[in-house]
Amino acid sequence: MKKNRTKQGYLLNTIVIVVLFALFQVLTAAMGGSGSFKLVLAPCLWQCCYLIILAASLNLVLGFLGQLSLGHCGFMAIGAYTAALLSLACERAGVFEDKEGPVFLAVLIGCILAAGLLAALVGLLVGIPALRLKGDYLAIITLGFGMIIVNIINNLPFCGQDGLSLGSASSSLYKNGLGFGSKGKVSYLWVALLVTLLCLVMMFMFIRSKYGRAIRAIRDDEIAASASGINTSFYKIMTFSYSAFFAGVAGALYACANATLSTSSFAFSNGGILNSTFIVVMVVLGGMGSLTGSIVAAVIMFLVNYQIKNGTWVTALPAAVQGVFQYPMLVYAIVLIVVIMFRPKGIFGSYEFSLINLGRDLKAVRLRKAAERAERKEAKAHA
Amino acid sequence: MKRRFLSILLAGCLAASLTACGGTKEESAAPADSGDSASGEPILLGTISPNTGNLAAYGTAIMNGVNLAVEEINAAGGVLGSQIQVINADDQGDPTECMNAFNSLVSQGVGLIIGSVTSSCTSAITDSANEEEVVLTSPSSTADSITTEDDYVFRACYADSFQGAIAAAYAKQAGYAKVGVVYCAADTYSKGLYDSFSAACEKYGVEVAAVESTASMDVQDYTNQFASMVNAGVELVYAPYYYDVIGPYLVTQARAASYTGIIMGADGYDGAPSYVVEGADLTAFNGVYWTNHYDPADESALVQNFVKAFQDKYGEIPMAMSALAYDCVYMYKTAMEAAGSADPAAVRDAMADNSLTYECVTGTFTLDESGTPVKGATIVFFASEGSEVTTTLVDVVKELPEA
Repeated sequence: MKKNRTKQGYLLNTIVIVVLFALFQVLTAAMGGSGSFKLVLAPCLWQCCYLIILAASLNLVLGFLGQLSLGHCGFMAIGAYTAALLSLACERAGVFEDKEGPVFLAVLIGCILAAGLLAALVGLLVGIPALRLKGDYLAIITLGFGMIIVNIINNLPFCGQDGLSLGSASSSLYKNGLGFGSKGKVSYLWVALLVTLLCLVMMFMFIRSKYGRAIRAIRDDEIAASASGINTSFYKIMTFSYSAFFAGVAGALYACANATLSTSSFAFSNGGILNSTFIVVMVVLGGMGSLTGSIVAAVIMFLVNYQIKNGTWVTALPAAVQGVFQYPMLVYAIVLIVVIMFRPKGIFGSYEFSLINLGRDLKAVRLRKAAERAERKEAKAHA
Repeated sequence: MKRRFLSILLAGCLAASLTACGGTKEESAAPADSGDSASGEPILLGTISPNTGNLAAYGTAIMNGVNLAVEEINAAGGVLGSQIQVINADDQGDPTECMNAFNSLVSQGVGLIIGSVTSSCTSAITDSANEEEVVLTSPSSTADSITTEDDYVFRACYADSFQGAIAAAYAKQAGYAKVGVVYCAADTYSKGLYDSFSAACEKYGVEVAAVESTASMDVQDYTNQFASMVNAGVELVYAPYYYDVIGPYLVTQARAASYTGIIMGADGYDGAPSYVVEGADLTAFNGVYWTNHYDPADESALVQNFVKAFQDKYGEIPMAMSALAYDCVYMYKTAMEAAGSADPAAVRDAMADNSLTYECVTGTFTLDESGTPVKGATIVFFASEGSEVTTTLVDVVKELPEA
């Protein structure tokens, strides 16, 4: 019976996803050419896609394995530069000429895969020595890794400013590589969405497998887990490298969405919302141990950041509120304080959204609320 | 319950304290749409600048320059009988945000854009400008690759290949035979200046004896880099960074590492004295030379009128950034009048016509085939005088000297 229900769940999810995807394709075909879809919605979706993958992949390490990693954007940088350089090399070798047709699609997918694999390999190499440490020490090692990787990329002769500036620095990726302009972002939007979906499915399946149970056991009590016969080092390093794979994929999507790459975008902290600190914030905001939470938090952070700067409704607000919006970093702080105060375990805690269980979960919430209310009433009556 | 109340109170306090400092700035952007006496739709002019983040001072300077120019033009009846309306977007100095800002402006129907400030940001949107057929004029992105032939991208400043070479020519002319460079390999601006400086040094026979780099443009420690400069025995160090590290860190740390020679910089040094830490030894700034776009003390009527109008309105001497932004607006005005239309394609054709002459605060110039002005650079230096650092003109270089 239990097994049957899991199968039913998979079936239901597949159907819903296929229907949504078809609907999305129809919508894109209908509105793809028009201004605001092309200029606003498509770039936003691209950015949401890589932020979602990034936050969810960090959640594997931070939420499910319980290890603090502060250099997650380093893996993303590896992915972004791998994909970018590979696509440029393919163009120079004459594999594809314009960004159309099955050959380019194959190159694109190859770039994304290569980005993930190289990031996973580096994750493995970093993970082996780093995961001997715990807690604060691991955080410091990963923080250092994030900085080192940026320096290495800057100083590699075929990377950094030199590697991407053959011809014109601004446009080499866009003209010859996999960087998409506005039109390309619309016509290849399905790739981004599909890659995101696949990554999420792989992560969900991972945490529900015996590997997922093992790493949660390690998170909850490492000594007990090891006493029960779990090879803790193996599982830790595997999860670390698995998570790095997805960060690399996110990097490849980043390279597609941004026609230029600069290592400052992958630093520990910078002016924008794409940096290692903010990814940790997204995971904590959504709930450590909930992939659903990471997805929602990534979208929320993106929307907050995007809307307070570009939203047209902002001009309709009173001047006092607009004054606050001139300091976006402090708006994030306010959002964080409020969320963490009301929901100390993040928006979703460790709850995972599931279509087949939706009815049951909603009912459970209703019952719990009712019970709480009754309890409070009783307490008042006693007082 | 108590905790929830406290958290809301805390958030409220944060918000309230912000409104106190943010409220006053709003007025400057408003006047653009106040005077619609002229007939027809207003011409939309978009600006993209880093209004928040590390380079926020540039954002303010750009907005001040643009607003001043637009007010002047609107008060004088607008362009082609239409008023100009400014729509500003913030890019935080980040390429991705810059792209979002650009897309948001274009989707609001803007066809003429001024921006962005840094080369890394601008290079993220040049291709989109070509694809969307929107004219983009950068006030201050000096990287060589920003403008290319046959495109929609122009600028109001000279390119790095000129700016770096000017610094090398100065080193040669002032008789420094052994120079060093401290730069950031990750940044388009810093790296571009390093490349042109070292190429020009080779041309002029100046030896580049030591090169050190930093990981990012906002590193806060330069002691090791300058210690190695001292070891190499160089007399001049070329350090292309922005004001946000020059003022508080780089110069004072260089002197603390017992480097006594010349520090040479580029237009990013503008405004650095306002960022010096309280109580720092200002004599450290003696011997800091840099290349700039204009000299506020220039006696030509155009410059003096601009400086006076700017001081009346904002109460400070305009940075070069404000002058360049002011020039961008007038470049558009000249181009629109030459084209007889505010249509982006027509304006682009007018600007691509290299014979059009622009009379601007930072010089009277024409654009070359790529869309970069043909104009000179000024070399200035800092000097400490009592409790402040002043800027003095050394020379105005119109053309690069022969090797």
